[in-house]
Amino acid sequence: MGKGKPFLEVLASAIHEDYRFPFLEVFAFLYALGTFVFASFGVSITTQSATSQSMATANEIIAYGAVSSILSIPLFIFIILVFKNIAYGLGSDLEKGIIQTYFSYPLRRRGILTAKLLSALGVALLLFLGIQISALYILAPDIILPQLGTVLLTYAANLSYPFLIAGIMLLLTLKLRRGGIGLVVGIVLYFAMSMASGIATVFAIFTKTPLSLQILSAISPSIILQQYYVGSLGDFWAPAFSELLLYTGVSYVIVAFVFVLGYTYFSRRLNL
Amino acid sequence: MALIVAEDLAKSYGRVVAVDSLSLSLDEGSVTGLIGPNGAGKTTTIKMILGLLKPDKGVVKVFGQDPWDNPAIRSMIGVVYEKAFFPAHQKTLEYLQRVCRVFGVSESRAMEVLELVNLQEASAREIRALSAGMLQKFAIAHALVHSPKLVVADEMTANLDPQARSELLDLVLQLHKDEKATFLLSSHILPELSRVCDSVAIMNRGKVWAFGKLSELYEKYAVGIIRVSTDSPYELEAEIKKLNYVKEVNSDIRGISVTVVEGKEDELYEDVLKLAKRINAKILGIETGSASMQELYRLAIRQAISGKEKK
Repeated sequence: MGKGKPFLEVLASAIHEDYRFPFLEVFAFLYALGTFVFASFGVSITTQSATSQSMATANEIIAYGAVSSILSIPLFIFIILVFKNIAYGLGSDLEKGIIQTYFSYPLRRRGILTAKLLSALGVALLLFLGIQISALYILAPDIILPQLGTVLLTYAANLSYPFLIAGIMLLLTLKLRRGGIGLVVGIVLYFAMSMASGIATVFAIFTKTPLSLQILSAISPSIILQQYYVGSLGDFWAPAFSELLLYTGVSYVIVAFVFVLGYTYFSRRLNL
Repeated sequence: MALIVAEDLAKSYGRVVAVDSLSLSLDEGSVTGLIGPNGAGKTTTIKMILGLLKPDKGVVKVFGQDPWDNPAIRSMIGVVYEKAFFPAHQKTLEYLQRVCRVFGVSESRAMEVLELVNLQEASAREIRALSAGMLQKFAIAHALVHSPKLVVADEMTANLDPQARSELLDLVLQLHKDEKATFLLSSHILPELSRVCDSVAIMNRGKVWAFGKLSELYEKYAVGIIRVSTDSPYELEAEIKKLNYVKEVNSDIRGISVTVVEGKEDELYEDVLKLAKRINAKILGIETGSASMQELYRLAIRQAISGKEKK
């Protein structure tokens, strides 16, 4: 017997539970609503607010502005969906003993966790990116297609912090074997980043040094991304493109590290 | 051939010792009961056997392999947990068909096992709509989908009413006969295990105090036990207690269980008849060498403790 079938069946079962009616319908609607309703805003605002500090070309700034404008609300909806899937889905599966039932199937522990994460994160991401990319292609194909790199980088930088929170939630959920505390910590971390970036910006402006923003960019590269394309945080920091790539890369290394910790704990240490 | 071998297993939760120096060996084709009160360490032992818990000490082998994260041996084991949980919003038959695909068996097996546990009428119901008894039967069907060589069931009757318990035990007997499966059943409800088990491991405080074939254990521990059935158990008990060769007397509504010094069984037989005549009690029957599972459990634990103290 191949290894694929048990994995696919556990994945299908997880998707069935995570996206049962009306979750899939409601979240798909909210994604679409958030994407298309807010698509008209932001592009002009972002491009107009781009300062001379910006190292990017005009077309890149427009592409960044277009993506940013349709990103904010759906990204928030994506985070809610992922939080629900990890805290309520995986957390309650651990708490109630459904994971224990999966452990009686001929599948390795890492396969079970991969199936659960593909359902919780992967499907949510597919839904999010699918609607976003479709919207961009429909609304502004002539701007978007030539600037695909900027589009992908904007998504990558904006998604890194939600992934990090999801990873931390995963660790907490696995350790505590329930999702409630993980959910609270996830929400706190999400809002804490907004506050931290505000404080770091004020600190950077007063001290005329970007250190606080650079530190935050390592876990939330959307800060350096904004500075690179718009430069609105001040003239004391003009990051190069390579710097932007570096910070984005570092943030994903941190995300990967947190998920590897989760996998290691689940595979080698999780006692049920 | 031993399907499960556990050697010197130990597991603690913080300061609480759940299992301590436990050794066990389970033969192919047997129905073995893991008996003991709540907190005896039965569930922890089963979880270590199933690879859900890592022992702090000792080795456990199932089909000769380490059960931790081992998909190969899971194809050969069916598991029934005390509280069965499945994805709640899926229909029973559909979910079992999924499990058939997981184990690579024909989907028609799903209906077969539902029929086996008499749940065919609930095939279109969502799992969350099943009653506790039905859910437990469903758990058994789920465990049997792939015709496992070994079925491990932890307190599978704990939450059921007496009728449902009886039906499930009948099912175990039938499966043992028809499917030739080996069973490891844990329970703290002792009388029901005596119906189905041919071997028992008597557990208390994380240790196995006695282990072997039920007949051998009765032979070893139930020596000197006489069961007296009478219409006046409490009055007769008071009189029997006065006999100097009587070690212990326990009575219930159906009769009296008397433990005597070895070799005094015949003497007790005669004395009981005399005593009954004196107090006008009616003797309905006297049976030697018979003990209930509870008595066996109590005697085994007591002998083990006294043996330990002597050492």
